[in-house]
Amino acid sequence: MPTAAEFDQTIKSGELIESPKEMTPEYLRELKHTLIVSGDTELISAPAYYLAAKRAPSINAFMTGIAIIQDELAHAHIAYHILEELGEDQEKLIFSRDPKSFRYPYAFDVPLDTWTELVVANGMYDQAGFCLLGDIHDKCSYGPWKRGLNKVMAEENFHLRNGRTWMKRISASGGSAKDELQRAVDWMFPLSVEWFGLPDDLKMHSTQLEYRLKGLTNDQLRQWWLSTVVPYCEQIGIKVPAHKETRDGKDLWELDYPFPCAFDAEAKRWDFKQPGSWDEVLVRWRARGPRNAEMVAMFQEEFHKFRKTHHKNGS
Amino acid sequence: MTQRLWTALAEVQDPEMPVNLVDLGVIYGITERDGVVEVNLTFTAMGCPASDFILEDVRERLLREAGVREVRINVVWDPPWTSALMTEAGRDALESWGLAV
Repeated sequence: MPTAAEFDQTIKSGELIESPKEMTPEYLRELKHTLIVSGDTELISAPAYYLAAKRAPSINAFMTGIAIIQDELAHAHIAYHILEELGEDQEKLIFSRDPKSFRYPYAFDVPLDTWTELVVANGMYDQAGFCLLGDIHDKCSYGPWKRGLNKVMAEENFHLRNGRTWMKRISASGGSAKDELQRAVDWMFPLSVEWFGLPDDLKMHSTQLEYRLKGLTNDQLRQWWLSTVVPYCEQIGIKVPAHKETRDGKDLWELDYPFPCAFDAEAKRWDFKQPGSWDEVLVRWRARGPRNAEMVAMFQEEFHKFRKTHHKNGS
Repeated sequence: MTQRLWTALAEVQDPEMPVNLVDLGVIYGITERDGVVEVNLTFTAMGCPASDFILEDVRERLLREAGVREVRINVVWDPPWTSALMTEAGRDALESWGLAV
């Protein structure tokens, strides 16, 4: 194991870390934490998307939805596989954890109930995933993870394509279809904005940045996301509560509502007249949202049922 | 003119892999008569989740060519696509992406 000073030097030099032998315990802990968030996010997107993909409006659309779910499971597998190499028990991580201790963005806990909501998720949540993973792919100091993301980026692009193509199509058809799309964007846009976490001025210190597990700050990632999603929505005639400002010759994306503010998950409605605090957001995140337990149960229940009967038959 | 149409389709990327449709070997034939273009193409799998996107992209790209007023696409399954239908450039592109072909 390297000393703290040696390790510091390796990180600063830009070299990649290739195995646990080359890590300090602090780096290992932070790397595992980052991988668990990534694995859990990909994993839980599968049941979240599946419950909406069932409502696909055509066979081909259903195939696309299912292919995306398959991709997400494969991405989860990459993260959990690396965790296993780092000494974690994959089976325990997936099947024995309490639903509330899964570490994925709160957005997935709010049910996606229609094909329209699914394609907005592909256009907005997968864009968030694309920014986060793109940054890790670009900057991550852990070699096996960085390389494992090569194909993931191309696949996330395909998910975005599905989201954007369908959003454009639905918007162009106008009428009640477009109204439904606008309603979905209205509640899903702010959930995606908070996906990137605390603003930089409240997060003074980032161990992830220090260890080069990622390269961009929360606000930089959020700006990247806004710079792709806002122009696209405007282009297809969908309103979003954000706009561009130019300050000191630099483009900056500003939100048109208090961030954070109150959210009613059951009604899928934000109250822009009720500014909130990040402490309240953290409480909401920790309590998890409406679909957390149901989604985790979707894969945990059958695993344990199968285990039990299998064991009985075998003995 | 058909040579120009082949070049145009070589600009259309597969939605899932970093390779264009011509190098991937899924374009079986292009004919043109009085501005009506007929394309025979296949997919790498019958359950191709990107088939709608591919059809849309092919149509959209060909309609951008001067002299093209209509595009008819026939999806064919004979002969079935295999990786042997890829060009050398397609093979290189997929191999450098990490796909054994």
